[in-house]
Amino acid sequence: MSIDLVQQLSAWLVDTDIGLLELRGPDRQVQLRLRNDGGGAAIRQESVAAPSASARPPTSVMNSPSVGVFLHRHPMRESALAPAGTRVREGQPLGLLQVGALLLPVCAQQAGTVAGLRVAHGTVVGYGTPLIDLDPL
Amino acid sequence: MIEILSASALATVQDLGRSGALRWGVGTSGAMDPLALAAGNVLLGNDEGAAAVEVPVFPFQVRFTDDVSFALTGADCAARLDDVPLLPWWVFDARVGQVLTLGLPQAGTWRASRAYLCLAGGVDVPAVLGSRSTQLRGDFGGHEGRALRQGDQLRAATPGRSAFATGFGLLPPALALPLQIDGVPAMRVLPAAEYMHYTEASRAAFWSSDWKITAQSDRYGYRLAGAALEAAHTVEMRSHGIVPGVIQVPPGGQPIVQMRDAQPSGGYPKLGTVIEADLWRLGQAPIGSRVRFIETTWDEAVAALEQTQAWLTESRRLVELCRRQRSGRSS
Repeated sequence: MSIDLVQQLSAWLVDTDIGLLELRGPDRQVQLRLRNDGGGAAIRQESVAAPSASARPPTSVMNSPSVGVFLHRHPMRESALAPAGTRVREGQPLGLLQVGALLLPVCAQQAGTVAGLRVAHGTVVGYGTPLIDLDPL
Repeated sequence: MIEILSASALATVQDLGRSGALRWGVGTSGAMDPLALAAGNVLLGNDEGAAAVEVPVFPFQVRFTDDVSFALTGADCAARLDDVPLLPWWVFDARVGQVLTLGLPQAGTWRASRAYLCLAGGVDVPAVLGSRSTQLRGDFGGHEGRALRQGDQLRAATPGRSAFATGFGLLPPALALPLQIDGVPAMRVLPAAEYMHYTEASRAAFWSSDWKITAQSDRYGYRLAGAALEAAHTVEMRSHGIVPGVIQVPPGGQPIVQMRDAQPSGGYPKLGTVIEADLWRLGQAPIGSRVRFIETTWDEAVAALEQTQAWLTESRRLVELCRRQRSGRSS
């Protein structure tokens, strides 16, 4: 990505409430993170090589599929769907994202053990926010 | 197709009811929680009024004899598809041979008593007098005019692997549109023709006290228990037309709320009518639980009905967005 484009995006980003902008390509990704360190907002560019397909990461992260309110438990239930330490199968809903009346699942991408939930029950999250850490089997 | 495996009684095929047939002396029937039935249909992309299975007694078990999409709404019955736990108010895909089990209704954050099993396209039974609801009193409509039995087979109108996405749900209206007084589920009531025949103390007590739903409560009517309602003078009445929601007061002073299978006429004095927009709240209140009544007006009753319709319209909009987005992603 050309530096001009990054600067253009950065300039737009400063005027919004967006804290993190992530662009993913086939071989690399760019994260623009808004840092609020007293003196004002600044943009930092991080270029990360995308992980190669063969290397299995020790922990996988489930990201938010949409903007919404992250729920640990179904609104009709009193206990969490998958608190830390829960053994889960592939495709199992680990948390929910509420968008108005709609409930979307945040599903395990593979079988494993829930390592932890990164965001509190009832928090408003953005698209792509990391929500759940999963240790694969 | 689905095959009923459980021997438990009283599950029936229902839609939104046989309206317009009271003139022939035919009761309304239809789902005790029409909002849950409509929401299940919305999750599947069906017409809101497609027929579904209403389940009031648990456990309840069916086997899928075809691939079919289905939705579960109403009471959270800790359902399982084979051994996989299912979320309430959710839409799923079933494969041929899988067994769906509904357990006992869970207390959770909303105590309800009836679950709805909706199928893609709706349960395919013939419409009689414009409705697929089971008319138990007249032995027609629904599946052979009776409650479902072990071994019965029901067809989904659109079986097979769904072209549409499943695996999402809706927030139940009991939580989105809550109505409670002191933590007790409440229903709005319009005072009816004989309201002023009751003593001032009885009228005040009707609004201010809890009413217990007795074991003599079913799809025909809910018999309530509480402080006896006293008439200021005795009322002799001829039988006249009544509708679901009408609160009658027999001589003992313990009220009866007419429900979906109510007969179309009755002769007891009428204290009030539970508004149409809140009948689902009462239809889901379990036997032994307590309810409260809130005095309302015609305008508020109409506004409440518009509010539930708006909830359904918004749910359908969000579900359609979700189905379109997810179907696009998988192709």
